[in-house]
Amino acid sequence: MSRNVLNVPEVCLVSYRTNMEKEFQHHLSRMPENSAIKQQKLPAHRLHFSNQAIFTIFFATGAFCFCIGIILLLSAWKVQEIEINYTNICEDCAKMRENALNFDKQCTCSIPFNLQKTMKGDVYMYYKLYGFYQNLYRYVLSRSHNQLMGKDVRDVKDCAPFKVTSNKIPIAPCGAIANSMFNDTIILSYIRSTSEHIQVPMLKTGLTWWTDKYVKFQNPSFRNLSDHFVGTEKPPYWQEPIYELDTSDPGNNGFLNDDFIVWMRTAAFPTFKKLYRRLYRVKYFSDGLPAGNYTFDISYNFPVTKFQGEKAVILSTLTWNGGSSIFLGLAYTVTGVFLWMSSFALMAIQGKMRKKKLSHRR
Amino acid sequence: MFCSKKKLLEVERIVKANDREYNEKFQYADNRIHTSKYNILTFLPINLFEQFQRVANAYFLFLLILQLIPEISSLTWFTTIVPLVLVITMTAVKDATDDYFRHKSDNQVNNRQSEVIIDSKLQNEKWMNVKVGDIVKLENNQFVAADLLLLSSSEPHGLCYIETAELDGETNLKVRHALSVTSELGADISRLARFDGIVVCEAPNNKLDKFMGVLSWKDSKHSLDNQKIILRGCILRNTSWCFGMVIFAGPDTKLMQNSGKTKFKRTSIDRLMNTLVLWIFGFLVCLGIILAIGNSIWENQVGGQFRTFLFWSEGEKSSVFSGFLTFWSYIIILNTVVPISLYVSVEVIRLGHSYFINWDRKMYYSGKATPAEARTTTLNEELGQIEYIFSDKTGTLTQNIMTFKKCSINGKIYGEVHDDVERKKEITKKKESVDFSVRSQAKGTFQLFDHSLMESIKLGDPQVHEFLRLLALCHTVMSEENNAGQLIYQVQSPDEGALVTAARNFGFIFKSRTPETITIEELGTLVTYQLLAFLDFNNIRKRMSVIVRNPAGQIKLYSKGADTILFEKLHPSNEGLLSLTSDHLSEFAGEGLRTLAIAYRELDDKYFQEWHKMLEDANAAMDKRDERISGLYEEIESDLMLLGATAIEDKLQEGVIETVTSLSLANIKIWILTGDKQETAINIGYACNMLTDDMNDVFVISGNTAVEVREELRKAKENLFGQNRSFSNGHVVSENKQQLELDSVVEETITGDYALVINGHSLAHALESDVKKDLLELACLCKTVVCCRVTPLQKAQVVELVKKHRNAVTLAIGDGANDVSMIKSAHIGVGISGQEGLQAVLASDYSFAQFRYLQRLLLVHGRWSYFRMCKFLCYFFYKNFAFTLVHFWFGFFCGFSAQTVYDQWFITLFNIVYTSLPVLAMGIFDQDVSDQNSMDCPQLYEPGQLNLLFNKRKFFICVAHGIYTSLVLFFIPFGAFYNMVGEDGQHVADYQSFAVTMATSLVIVVSVQIALDTSYWTVINHVFIWGSIATYFSILFAMHSNGIYEVFPNQFPFVGNAWHSLNQKCIWLIILLTTVASVIPVVTFRFLKMHLYPSLSDQIRWWQKAQKKAKPTSRRRPQTRRSSSRRSGYSFAHQEGYGELITSGKNMRVKNPPPTSGLEKTLYNSTSWIENLCKKTTDTVNSFSQDKAVKL
Repeated sequence: MSRNVLNVPEVCLVSYRTNMEKEFQHHLSRMPENSAIKQQKLPAHRLHFSNQAIFTIFFATGAFCFCIGIILLLSAWKVQEIEINYTNICEDCAKMRENALNFDKQCTCSIPFNLQKTMKGDVYMYYKLYGFYQNLYRYVLSRSHNQLMGKDVRDVKDCAPFKVTSNKIPIAPCGAIANSMFNDTIILSYIRSTSEHIQVPMLKTGLTWWTDKYVKFQNPSFRNLSDHFVGTEKPPYWQEPIYELDTSDPGNNGFLNDDFIVWMRTAAFPTFKKLYRRLYRVKYFSDGLPAGNYTFDISYNFPVTKFQGEKAVILSTLTWNGGSSIFLGLAYTVTGVFLWMSSFALMAIQGKMRKKKLSHRR
Repeated sequence: MFCSKKKLLEVERIVKANDREYNEKFQYADNRIHTSKYNILTFLPINLFEQFQRVANAYFLFLLILQLIPEISSLTWFTTIVPLVLVITMTAVKDATDDYFRHKSDNQVNNRQSEVIIDSKLQNEKWMNVKVGDIVKLENNQFVAADLLLLSSSEPHGLCYIETAELDGETNLKVRHALSVTSELGADISRLARFDGIVVCEAPNNKLDKFMGVLSWKDSKHSLDNQKIILRGCILRNTSWCFGMVIFAGPDTKLMQNSGKTKFKRTSIDRLMNTLVLWIFGFLVCLGIILAIGNSIWENQVGGQFRTFLFWSEGEKSSVFSGFLTFWSYIIILNTVVPISLYVSVEVIRLGHSYFINWDRKMYYSGKATPAEARTTTLNEELGQIEYIFSDKTGTLTQNIMTFKKCSINGKIYGEVHDDVERKKEITKKKESVDFSVRSQAKGTFQLFDHSLMESIKLGDPQVHEFLRLLALCHTVMSEENNAGQLIYQVQSPDEGALVTAARNFGFIFKSRTPETITIEELGTLVTYQLLAFLDFNNIRKRMSVIVRNPAGQIKLYSKGADTILFEKLHPSNEGLLSLTSDHLSEFAGEGLRTLAIAYRELDDKYFQEWHKMLEDANAAMDKRDERISGLYEEIESDLMLLGATAIEDKLQEGVIETVTSLSLANIKIWILTGDKQETAINIGYACNMLTDDMNDVFVISGNTAVEVREELRKAKENLFGQNRSFSNGHVVSENKQQLELDSVVEETITGDYALVINGHSLAHALESDVKKDLLELACLCKTVVCCRVTPLQKAQVVELVKKHRNAVTLAIGDGANDVSMIKSAHIGVGISGQEGLQAVLASDYSFAQFRYLQRLLLVHGRWSYFRMCKFLCYFFYKNFAFTLVHFWFGFFCGFSAQTVYDQWFITLFNIVYTSLPVLAMGIFDQDVSDQNSMDCPQLYEPGQLNLLFNKRKFFICVAHGIYTSLVLFFIPFGAFYNMVGEDGQHVADYQSFAVTMATSLVIVVSVQIALDTSYWTVINHVFIWGSIATYFSILFAMHSNGIYEVFPNQFPFVGNAWHSLNQKCIWLIILLTTVASVIPVVTFRFLKMHLYPSLSDQIRWWQKAQKKAKPTSRRRPQTRRSSSRRSGYSFAHQEGYGELITSGKNMRVKNPPPTSGLEKTLYNSTSWIENLCKKTTDTVNSFSQDKAVKL
C-alpha cells in the first residue's frame, strides 16, 4: 500500500491492487524455502561434555598411555644392541682419508669386541653417522629421478652441482647424495678360537623398501649393465663405477644395489643409522649371534673427521615394534602420569566450585 | 570522478530552454546515473589492479616472485600460485556479479520513461537521454526525473504539490509555485516548445532548501528561488500534470549530490585482522632473521667443512651471503603463517551468513512478499557488535498511517474497549468493529471499536455533534471527487486527514469548500457554512481556528490545537471539564497517542464585525502587520468552550516496542533521528517505549544560537550529575538495580535513565567542534536520544560523531532517501524495503521489510556471525601456526638450510583441501546457543560489543596454542625417530617418513581440535571433518603410489612412503601420542575456564541441559505502559500558509458537482483560472439554495 492512503486517487489504487495480485503470485517464489539448512535448523548434536565424561576420558586416556608406555619401555629393554664407534679407533685411517690425494689407497682397521650374551633372533647390522647432514635442502634435491628409474641415464638436470664431470660427461648416478655415498665395507668375523675366524654370513639384500627396489630404482633394461652406462662417468668420489657395485649379483648391481638405495633414502636428522647387513641365520648363527669374541674388519673409505662427524657400527635385535626407542615409552608413561594427575586436580577444582555454588545457594 | 573536476570549474550554470546545442557548450552532465565500476573491457585490468592493491594479495604476488628466483626458492612455484589464482578468481567473480547487478539497477533507473518536448512535440524519452534545458512533462504520482524549474501545471497559478519524503523524509505535501509568466504557458506544447528562457543559477550543490537563480525571458528578468524548483526524487501529488525545465541532471541533481560517497566499509574484525597480519609479518621477519643468523653461524662452523664433501668448493659463497639467501628462503617457507586462504575463507563464511539472512523465513514479510536481503556480504560479523542504532522515524518505526483512535468529548472517553475485568485491552482486529457500512460515504478502512459513540450520535448529543462538526470544519483539507464518484480528500497533513475522515465516518462528511464556504453533510443533510475567517496554524500558536457562520446565522469560532495552549484560552466555566479532559489527555499521551484539544466559541455578530474590521485594518497596515494580526487572533481565540480532545495514533510498525525493549536489554543504544517536529518525535519516543515516564529526566535542547545550546547542554549535564549524586542512595538505585546487574560494565557511574531531545537547529550548533564533545558525552550518558528536525546531512554527521569519538559500531536504519547519507556513513546501513522509494535500500547493506526484523538480524544472525567468525579466526591462526612453526624447529636440525618438514604437495593442499572444509563448516553452521535462546536472552549479545571473542589477547592465546602444538608435533616425532628402525629392521628415520608422520599427525591433531571446537555437529560437519581426514589419506596414498611416480617422478618422489610408514606400529604410536599431548592441555584449559569463569552462553547451555524437559521460555512481553504521565501528547504535522491558500482560493480548482451528476468530471485538465472562478460562484449559489431548501 501507499504511504498516504488518503490522497492516492482511485486509479492509482487500482494499479496497486494489480501489483499486489502480481506480487501474490510472486509470493510463493520469493518466500524463502523452508528447508532445515536454509533455516539453520539442521538436526545436530550439540557437543557438550559433562564433567563425568571429561573425567572418564582423562582417566581412560591416562591409563591407556601409561600401559602403552610401560609396554614400550619393557620391549625396549629387551632389545640387545651393540654400538661401536670406530671414529677414534681407526684414527690412522681417518687421518689418511683427510688428505684427498690418498683416495685410492686402501686402509683397513679391525675392531675386536666381546659379545657377552647371545643376540637371539634376527640380528641387523647398521652403520651410524653422527653430524652428517643428509637433510640439507640442496643436498636432498640433488638427484635425478629419471636417471635412477633407468629411464634416461643421461638426465642429470636436477643434479647440480654433480651433473657432469669437467669433461662435460654426465655423471651416473649424478647428484650430491649419490656422490657422498657411504663406502666403508664392514665385515664381521666370529672368533670361535684364536685360530678359527669365521666370517659371519650376512645378507646384502632385503635391506630396502619394496617400492624403492622395484619402482624408484631401476636399471636400464640392458643385459650388460656396463653397456648402458657408456657415455657416463662415475661420481667424483666413487672408487668404482655404478655397474661394479656388486658384480657377483646382477640383482644387486647398478642402481638396484641395496646399499646404494639405502643411502639414497636420505635421513631426517644429522645423526642417523642405516641398515647395512642382515644376519644370514645358518650354521652357528641359526639362533642369532652367539656370545663370544668378534671383530669388525672395516675398510675405511668414508671420511667423517673433516666435518667433525663420527661413525659407528651397530648390531641390534628387534622387537614387535622395530628397534629400541626408550623415548616413546618414556613419553607415553609421562603423559599417562600427567593425565592422571591433572584429572585429580580437575576433580578437586570442580568439587571446590560445586561447594562454592552450594554455599552460594544457601 | 570527472564530474567532481568539472564542479571545480563550474561557478554558475547557464541553461537555455529547448536549446540542446547551446547547452552542449557547457558539457553539463546528462541524466544518466553511473554507480557501476567496470565494463567488459576494463574489468580485468581494473579489477586485477584493485585486487593487487590489497596488502595480502600483493604479498603473495611478491612471494611468488621470490619463489621464481632459484637461489632462494625453497618451495616450488605451485605452492603459492595455486591458492593465489584461486583467490583472485573467486574475488573477481564476486566483483563481476556485484557490478552486474549495479549495471542492472542503473539501467532500470536510466531507462525509466519520461515525456520530453523535442522538436515541438511531446515525445517519450528515457531518463538517461534527458538533457539539461529540456522541458519535461510530469504526471501525477510520477517520480521527478531531474531537478526542474517548474514552468506550468494543471493547477491554477502554476501550483503543484510534491511529496519530498524521498529527499527529506517529511511526508506532508509541499507546494511549488511556478512564475506567473511561465504558468501562462499551460499545457500548450507549441508555446512551451518555443519557450527560450535562459536560467542563470548556482552550480550544483547539495543544499536541498536553497536555490538561487535568475530567469531571463522576453527581455525581463525574474528571480528564482527554491519555491520554483522540483527536485529529483520527489513525487508529484495531487497535480495531474506539470511542465518543468531541466536545470540539473543526473549526478548534478541535489538528490545525487546529497547521497554522499559510497564508502568502502570494513568491519572492525577486518581492521583487527589487518593489524594482526602486519604483526605476523613482523613475527615472520623475526623468525627469518633468527634462522638467517643461525644459517650464517652454521655455515661458518659446520657447513664450511661440508662444502667439499657435500657441495662444491665455492669460496665466494660467504656465510653471510648464505644467511641472506636463507632469510628469503625462510620467508617463503614460513609464509603460511599468513595463509592466503584466510581471506578467502572469511569471504566464504560471510557469504554463507548472508545467504542465511536471505533465507530466513522469520525475516520474510509476507505482507509485501519481501524477504530480508543482505546486500553487502562482507559485514556480517559486525552485526554482532552493534552498540548504537540510529533510526529514522517515519516509515521505519511508524507506518506513517494516522488513525483516529480515541476521543474525549465532554468528559467522556470514546474509543476504548472495556472487557470483563475492566482492563484496557489492545484492540485487535478480531474484535467486532463498529459497523459503518450504513453510511455510504464511510471509508472502508476505518475502524473504531466503540459503539457508544455511535449511540451518542444517534441520540443527538449536541456536544458530540459539535465535536464532529468541528472536525469537519476546522481543517485545510481539500476534497475532490474521482471518476467513480468517490470523495477523495487531499490532505496536507496526515493528522488532519485522520480527523476529517473520522468525522466523515461518524456522519459529518466534509464535502467541498470554496474560499468563502465549507459544505458538509451532517447526518445526511447538506449544510453550507460561510467561512468568515481562517486563523492559520503556525508553530508558535500551535493551534488553528476557523470562524464560520452557520445557515442559522450563528457565528462560531472552532479551534483545535495543543492542549497546553488551548487550555489557557478557555472560559473559566470549563474548569471541571478541563481537569477531566486533561486527565484523559494524559492518558492518551501515556499511550503514545498524538492529541489535540478541541474548543469552540460562540461569537455575537457585532463583536465579530468589529474584530473583522480591525483585522482588515491590520492586514492593510504596513508596519507591525504580523504582530497586530497575531494580537487580534489572540483576542478572539479566548473564552473558548472546551469540547474535548482527539487522540490519533501514529501507527507504529509491528513489533517495534518488543524490538526496542529487547535491543535495549542487549545494551544497544537507540537514537531516533527524524526530520519530523519535536512533538512528533517525542511522541513516538513514548509510543515505542524509548522514552518512559520512569525516566529521571528528559533534556530538551532547542536553542537557536551557539551560546544558548552550549548553556543548555551545560545545564543538562549539571542536572544529570547533580541528580545522580542526590539519587545515589535513593530509591532510583533500587529501581534500576536489575538493569545495572545486567550490564555489568556500566559506561560511567550514572544511575537512572535520562533522555535527550535535541532539535535540528540546535544540533547544527552543537555539532560545532567545541561543543561536540559535550553533546556526545551527554548523549552517551542518556538512555535515549531523539534528534528531531534534522537534515539528511546532519543525520550523517551525528552518526559520524558517534562513530569517530566513541569508537563504537553503529547501525543506521531508515527507509527514505533522506536516510541515505546516514545509512552510508554508519558501519552498517539497514534499509526498510517494500516501500515506494528504493534509495535507502539501494544504499543499504541489509534490507528487510519491517523494523522488528532488526531484532533477529542483530541478536540471532549478527551474534552468530560474530561468534562463528571469531571461532573461525581463532582456529585458523592456531592451525597455521601449528602447521608452519615446525619448519622453524626443524631449521635447527637441518643446518638452517630452508628444508621444509613436509612434502611440497602437502604444503600446497593443507590449507585449501585438507583443513579448509571443517573449519568452514564450523564458521558457517556453528551455534553456541539456539536462535530462540539468543532472542530470549539479549544479554548474550554483549560479548560482541565488548569485543570479547576475538581480540589481541585472544589472538595471542591462539598463537601460543599454535606454538605449543607445533612443539609437540615436532619434538615427539623427533625424539621417537632419533634412534628408530622399522619392524623389518629397515630404517624408517628417513626424511620422507618423517615428513609423512608429521603431516599425518598434523592433520589428525587439527581435525581433533576442530572436532572439539565445533559445538553444533550437523551432518555437514560430520561429512567435512571425517571427509577431510579421509581425503587426506586418499590423496596421500594416491600421491605416493607407483603409477603417479612413473609418470611424474620429479613431482612425486615420495613413492611408497605412505604405505611403508603407515604400516609401522610405532608411527601410529607417535601420531597417537602427539594427538593426546597436543589436545589434552587444551581440554584441561577449557574445562578450568568453564568452571572458573563461565560465560553466559555456557550457563545457558547448562541451564538448558538441566531444564531439558521444561517448556521453552515464553517470549518477553512488552512492559505495560503507565498512563500516569502529565505531559502533553500534542503533535500535529501541519504547516503554516495553508489557511492563506484556502482563503485566497488559489489552490481551489473547480468544485465537482454533487455525485448525482457525475458525468462532467473530466474538465479540470484544461479549465482556465477564469472558468474555475465562474464555476465556483455558481456552485456556491447552488449550494446555498440547496441549503435553504433543506432548512425550509
